[in-house]
Amino acid sequence: MSSRWLGVGFLAPALVAVLFFFLLPVVMTVMFSFTNMTTATGITGGEYLLSKSRLRQLEAEGVSEETVERLESAGYQITEQGLAALAEEFGEDRADELREDYMGESFTARRDLERVLRNLNDDPIRRTRDRKAAADLFAVTILDERFPTEPAFRDALTESGIDPADHDALVKTAYTGWTWTTDNFKLLFELPATLRYAMNTAIYVVFTLAFNVGFGLFLAISTFYLPQHLANTFRTIWFLPRILPPVMYVLMWKWFTWDTGFISTVLSVFGVTPINWMTESALNAWTVVVLINGFVGASLGMILFSSAIKAIPLSMLYASEVDGAYRWDQIRYIILPQLRWPVLFMTSYQTLSLLTSFEYILLSTEGGPGGSTTTWALAAYTTALRNYGGNLEYGFGAAYALVLVIIGIILSVLYLRFFNFKELVAKPRIEQ
Amino acid sequence: MELKLEKFTKRFGTTTVIDSMDLTVNSGEMMALLGPSGCGKSTTLFAICGIHRMNGGRLLFGGQDVTTVPAQRRSVGVVFQNYALYPHMTVRENIGFPLKVQRKAKAEIASEVGQMAELVQISNLLDRRPAQLSGGQQQRVALARAMVRKPDVLLLDEPLANLDAKLRLEMRSEIRRIQKETGITAILVTHDQVEAMSMCDRIALMRDGKIVQLDTPEGMYRNPKTQFVAGFLGNPPISFLSVTAGDTLSLGEGLTLARPQGLEASGDIVIGIRPEHFGPQYGTGLEGVISFVEPQGREELVDVRLANGQEVRAILPVGDPLKTGQHVNWGVATDRILAFSQDGARL
Repeated sequence: MSSRWLGVGFLAPALVAVLFFFLLPVVMTVMFSFTNMTTATGITGGEYLLSKSRLRQLEAEGVSEETVERLESAGYQITEQGLAALAEEFGEDRADELREDYMGESFTARRDLERVLRNLNDDPIRRTRDRKAAADLFAVTILDERFPTEPAFRDALTESGIDPADHDALVKTAYTGWTWTTDNFKLLFELPATLRYAMNTAIYVVFTLAFNVGFGLFLAISTFYLPQHLANTFRTIWFLPRILPPVMYVLMWKWFTWDTGFISTVLSVFGVTPINWMTESALNAWTVVVLINGFVGASLGMILFSSAIKAIPLSMLYASEVDGAYRWDQIRYIILPQLRWPVLFMTSYQTLSLLTSFEYILLSTEGGPGGSTTTWALAAYTTALRNYGGNLEYGFGAAYALVLVIIGIILSVLYLRFFNFKELVAKPRIEQ
Repeated sequence: MELKLEKFTKRFGTTTVIDSMDLTVNSGEMMALLGPSGCGKSTTLFAICGIHRMNGGRLLFGGQDVTTVPAQRRSVGVVFQNYALYPHMTVRENIGFPLKVQRKAKAEIASEVGQMAELVQISNLLDRRPAQLSGGQQQRVALARAMVRKPDVLLLDEPLANLDAKLRLEMRSEIRRIQKETGITAILVTHDQVEAMSMCDRIALMRDGKIVQLDTPEGMYRNPKTQFVAGFLGNPPISFLSVTAGDTLSLGEGLTLARPQGLEASGDIVIGIRPEHFGPQYGTGLEGVISFVEPQGREELVDVRLANGQEVRAILPVGDPLKTGQHVNWGVATDRILAFSQDGARL
């Protein structure tokens, strides 16, 4: 086997992973974002259905008044089909009597047909509810009737004598499946919530990142000066948030902040009224969200920075001490400058991952209180996959997600250029 | 400034590396701490500069006890083996660093750095970074950084170990020049006896955490106290022969040497013959076969295997071609023979 094919062979798992876990989702996000898919439309094709409740909006969509009226008052007609249905539910005798007296007759209002049914000689339908149901069997309106295909719907419109000029508009309105559209993006820019999500995301990323890097640095530097076994113990403890299952980790935070939880219980000793410290106010919620994410991210920073500090030759630290630098100067002039690359890497890596992460927010505040901690990614998720009303807007959610994908790709490219990726992987930065 | 170590003890865990060592370095003197690796010479240096804490004894700078003074406040400059320059700073910033952490004024730092750079002759390199310098230049920067605070004591930890042979020669005389020019008290830690002998006023030869002998280079070379000292100094090294001292020194197989004057011992002893004290210029006396010839340009290093199987090394000016396997009968400068007892003490 030639070495070229061997190389391709070795690359294959990575290529497959990139294809299925990156390219395919991106392509599908783009596709979905240009559709109006929701739970209502489904993700396959649809049917044609004009519902009565839609009637009011038809005029606004450019359908003539006359057509609307005609649709509304299409009325009732005594047909063989209707009689057959009546015979089955209300008895042959009644059907026969109707056939004899009224075959082919039309009624504009159901009221009129109902009167006929009440006045049947033989065996009138006495209960109002039964009469209504019986009358409906003779309805000829196309309202609330499902048509599987467009031609069938158009035929029905023609039969009902509806102005052909309005057919196209009605077909469009009646279609229950999804269609291609750019409306998602229009809506995105029109909704005031969008700006809110963007601001929330900025707050979330900036503060969490600052905490991640700052606290990670603090942990790395402080454990560096501790005796070995003590340092390892501390590092292990601070690593727990990362290795704990997120649900359990957040549950502990909830327990910590509930109105019957740790903080409230302790503070109640001092006469403070118990409150839910997580969702009492937007400030509380943000603090908790930043801390929850921050501790997880800081542990990664701690590991990264710790190893970078360890890579600084010991003699360099000795030299600085002999040169007269106390710890603070040593940190400021010797250690921190040499952590530039790890810090930059951490910052850019975390920016990307924070932009798209929402699991901890979802598990803790669920974006609340009142949407104050809903970030862009969480909004995308709830819109597309966790709508409270039950109508999941896949298309609109994908539009939200697409914006994140684009920002992510732009940032990645910038980072690769900025970090001069080839050089970064070529040789360690901390060296003489 | 005079530096004095009194009963200095250093332990790592339960291992005692140095046990109550005494050492005095006179003011303005350059002292070598010489010894094989693991003898405790670097440990001593780290204790003097304050990086390692002493487990016992006292350290005095000019009569002042600095045993518990932290490294930051001891007035010592250190040149580390790998120079330990700060890679993210320019040469200027590297040299100025000790002054910067003392919060000195910028103008003062600039002028001090300028002077230092001139002393070590790197004024033209001040804006470079360490990675852009050659080994010798880095060495000079490290030296300037160590000296910029005008320390009481300059400590050099194997400063030449990372240089190539030619630069090593150059820096050897450079360091000595700078030390003499500034008159600073200096301690050079090295395992290289040539460095120690060529650069220093006195040598403290260490072994297993103890100073075996403290002497001038010539004194130590001519008059070693033990077999270890004799074997450690000198390049090419001295040859040791087991002999039985009677009326003559008998090497067995009929080989004998005349007794050196003043030797009183008798019985089985060890004698040391330096290569320059064995050769045809001293007549005849030791018969053997040349087992190895190493030309060194101006001189030739010759190993002679005696009839009793022991080898004696000679260093000779290049002259008549000598071949391996050649039979020779060369003499020894009897009065320069060094005699040691079986346990290595000088007789």
